[in-house]
Amino acid sequence: MAQTRLGRNENAAGWAFVMPALALIGLFMIYPILWSLWMSFQTGRGMNTTFGGFGNIQRLFADPIFLTALGNTLIFLAIQVPIMIMLALVFAVMLNNPRLKGRGLFRTAIFLPAVTSLVAYSILFKSIFSNEGLATQVVAFFGGPQIAWLAEPFWAKVVIILAITWRWTGYNMIFYLAALQNIDRSIYEAARIDGVPARAQFFRITIPMLKPVILFTTIISTIGTLQLFDEVQNITQGGPSNATLTLSQYIYNLTFRFMPSFGYAATVSYVIVVLVAVLSTVQFWVARDRR
Amino acid sequence: MTDVAATEIDREAARPTSRAAVRPPRGPDRDRIGPVVTYVVLSLAAFLSVFPFFWMVVGTTNTSFDIVRGKSWFGDQLLVNIRNLAEQVDLPRVLFNSFYIAIISTVATLLVSSLAGYAFEIFRHKWRERIFAALLLMLSIPFAALMVPLFVMMAGAGLINTYAAIILPTVANIFVIFYFRQATKAFPHELRDAAKIDGLKEWQIFLRVYMPVMRSTYAAATIIVFTLTWNNYLWPLIVLQTNDMKTMVLTISSLNSAYTPDFGVIMVATVITTLPTLVIFFLLQRLFVQGMLGSVK
Amino acid sequence: MTTVFRRSLFASTAVGLLAGPALAQELTVWAWDPNFNGAAMEAAAAAYQEAGHPDFVLDYQEFAREEIEQKLQTQLAAGTMDGLPDIVLIEDYSAQKFLLSFPGAFQPLTDVIDYSGFADYKVALATVDGETYSMPFDSGVTGLFYRSDLIEQAGFTAEDMQDLTWDRFIEIGEAVTEATGTPMISLDIDDPGLFVVMLQSTGSWFFNEDGSLNIEGNEDFRAALADYQQILQSDMWKPVNSWAEYQASLAGDVASTVTGVWITGTIKAAEMPGQWAVAPIPRVEEAANGTNYSNLGGSSWYVLNSSDDKELVYDFLNTVWGSDVDFYQDILVGQGAVGSLLAAREGDAYQTSDDYFGGQPVWQDFSSWLGQVPAVDYGIFTYEVRSAIASNLPALADGGDLDEAIGNIAAEAAVLTQ
Repeated sequence: MAQTRLGRNENAAGWAFVMPALALIGLFMIYPILWSLWMSFQTGRGMNTTFGGFGNIQRLFADPIFLTALGNTLIFLAIQVPIMIMLALVFAVMLNNPRLKGRGLFRTAIFLPAVTSLVAYSILFKSIFSNEGLATQVVAFFGGPQIAWLAEPFWAKVVIILAITWRWTGYNMIFYLAALQNIDRSIYEAARIDGVPARAQFFRITIPMLKPVILFTTIISTIGTLQLFDEVQNITQGGPSNATLTLSQYIYNLTFRFMPSFGYAATVSYVIVVLVAVLSTVQFWVARDRR
Repeated sequence: MTDVAATEIDREAARPTSRAAVRPPRGPDRDRIGPVVTYVVLSLAAFLSVFPFFWMVVGTTNTSFDIVRGKSWFGDQLLVNIRNLAEQVDLPRVLFNSFYIAIISTVATLLVSSLAGYAFEIFRHKWRERIFAALLLMLSIPFAALMVPLFVMMAGAGLINTYAAIILPTVANIFVIFYFRQATKAFPHELRDAAKIDGLKEWQIFLRVYMPVMRSTYAAATIIVFTLTWNNYLWPLIVLQTNDMKTMVLTISSLNSAYTPDFGVIMVATVITTLPTLVIFFLLQRLFVQGMLGSVK
Repeated sequence: MTTVFRRSLFASTAVGLLAGPALAQELTVWAWDPNFNGAAMEAAAAAYQEAGHPDFVLDYQEFAREEIEQKLQTQLAAGTMDGLPDIVLIEDYSAQKFLLSFPGAFQPLTDVIDYSGFADYKVALATVDGETYSMPFDSGVTGLFYRSDLIEQAGFTAEDMQDLTWDRFIEIGEAVTEATGTPMISLDIDDPGLFVVMLQSTGSWFFNEDGSLNIEGNEDFRAALADYQQILQSDMWKPVNSWAEYQASLAGDVASTVTGVWITGTIKAAEMPGQWAVAPIPRVEEAANGTNYSNLGGSSWYVLNSSDDKELVYDFLNTVWGSDVDFYQDILVGQGAVGSLLAAREGDAYQTSDDYFGGQPVWQDFSSWLGQVPAVDYGIFTYEVRSAIASNLPALADGGDLDEAIGNIAAEAAVLTQ
């Protein structure tokens, strides 16, 4: 009797504690996302829309700009996320060495970009990579060619990738650093005594031990990259010639810059939802325990 | 205990030298990356990480022309740039907006989301894991997909151009709920049991026992959430309509897309925008590292 | 100043009939350039205050142009007008899009403003179904602004710069670039503005009269794009990444630019008196009706239907913008704004010669060119098509096939204007 009453109290408290969050999520996420789903079947201009069935989905496959934005977003994802995760891991492993002098300083310095505002750092990068700006001068100083960073499709993509990597590497590193400190050092000690070389230790001990965190950060980074907006909007505005246009930006353009096409914009936004779902599943699958 | 640790470190520190003396450091059981490489890599990374901050500060003292031409040393335009910014932007008002939104959002988010994260870990219910999995799934919803319906909802509620419209959708943050649930795994259940024996109600346990014990988790979450809300861009860009409601981030963005952007002025605004998050980070840094440790166990 | 008497008859009648107990004499206005349209609006407010409305207050709010469009579009699409101003500045290219997408959002001014006093093409831009919605503001009549000193240094005269074709312009440009080491023009490859200028100078546009796309099979479009590709493939241009860099390039980095008259303020800000001159723009020779006159940008004031003091808005617009010729002289001299009020062009400021441009009567020149700009209907999808063009320019710069590019532009534009 006492047991069940306790259980009921706990139940009530549990629901009461979770309710505010669930209610807000329901109101500000679930309801709008369902609305958005309904909108994705509407076609028309501005607010004058009619049910269009799968018309918007057909439009997707015939839309070269959507395909460009999709391609750009996937390129950013495929190149930037692995580079960033590797760098963050390497820095974390280096900083985890207790004999390293100045660890705190290095750690703080590398994490520092993560506290800047996306808009602010984007503008910093824009000024650094301006036509006759600092980056051009540095390249010239080392005898490199004159590069029109933001005017050439290839280099503009490079700048965006550099910018995101700068902003987020330290952020991810902190997760790994925290996880590394939870690994029992005696495992490494044992490996060393068994004569396992450093590289093998990294791949056979560090990576497997960090797998859950790596998975988590990879998924978070994937979601972040698929939603990339602030940086491109403030560095290149999607240019030159849509070379850095992302899906989020295309949605923004379809909604606020061009003749409003809410239904189609909603369809494009569902592409991101589907991509995230698919990629997260793939990442979970790749990281699964093979036993 | 201390002695053992000290000996351990001494031994470790001594080893490379002694081994190096025995044979070249190229052996197959080389147990770590060479220290020189480590220092070079980390120094380079630290330099590249910090350099844009230096560039930003230098920029505040130069003319727009010099900045675009890559001048990377201090000039004498600081006061001019500050004056121009103050003339173009109602700084006290804009800063007030930014602080108001960020502080209220942070407090509300920490409260609502930590409450939920705590409850998901502590209380058992047959729906618990299913609801939690559904929440994680929702992490994947891009804001772009919510933007238009949210705007129409806010318009219907008469909340366009209000602080509430910015704050409300951010309060239940799934990432933060997830983070608190992870961290709560390290929260000692005995504390809760003891508090219950002392007759504390559930909400009292949360406020008086959980929150103080988890302060480093809260510190880490404060940095993350404050940075997130202080820097929020797309949603305020859509919802805030008038200049007297603008935040610092929107102000920089406007200055940047102005007809004739003045990078000197923009740099001053950038420094002002970056300072609060920097200060909070440095104030909470020690707790932050502990808090992160708890979250990834 | 006795500006009271310069008030138009119509406006005074309106005020006389409708003057009730004056409440808050405040109007909110959105515009985007503090040195140009914003400053002109503030000058208009000052003129209105002097014209017997000392209590009038202008709440000028500045946003970037794209921000204004985004805010308008968001609010109107959501069906609210809560945060919108009384008067908003809209670029001519976007006017039809707003008027057609959001019927009822803007106040028709057909019965309020005497449009016969304004340039026809400006009125046409803001007319939908017989109702006109704008107080026409500035014209974007284009000119070829060039550095007379550099042109001379390369062995050319002011005579050589008149009545040019783009072929000849490129010849001169390459010669100037080689002789002086200064590139002839600066281009942002992402901004097809110059191409848009070239296209309008042929009297053609992206759309047919019924609004359908007029890209593939449009000989004028092809001719203009062929000339533009030649420019892109020449060695006479310096790339810039942004509007700011473009503006900065005018201060000594380039020998010329082809753009709207509103750039005059920027060129004067470079403080190189006597080194600049203006000529009509080159023409697209292959086009059937190629002219040396075109337009870039230009904008007008629109009244939101949500404005709660429309009488004040009408009186303010009519008193100053609709009839105050002196005011137009002030904003011409002060902001370099070429207004659309025809009567204003007879004013003193328009007759003066300008020492900055070597004593050339530039305003008179622009006024006469303005009358020869081919009128086109910008339609509702200008920015969509511009975006489609921009995404195909790098291929053209790399020597890509012209007709293939046109096909791609047409395909992208078709999707975007769906």
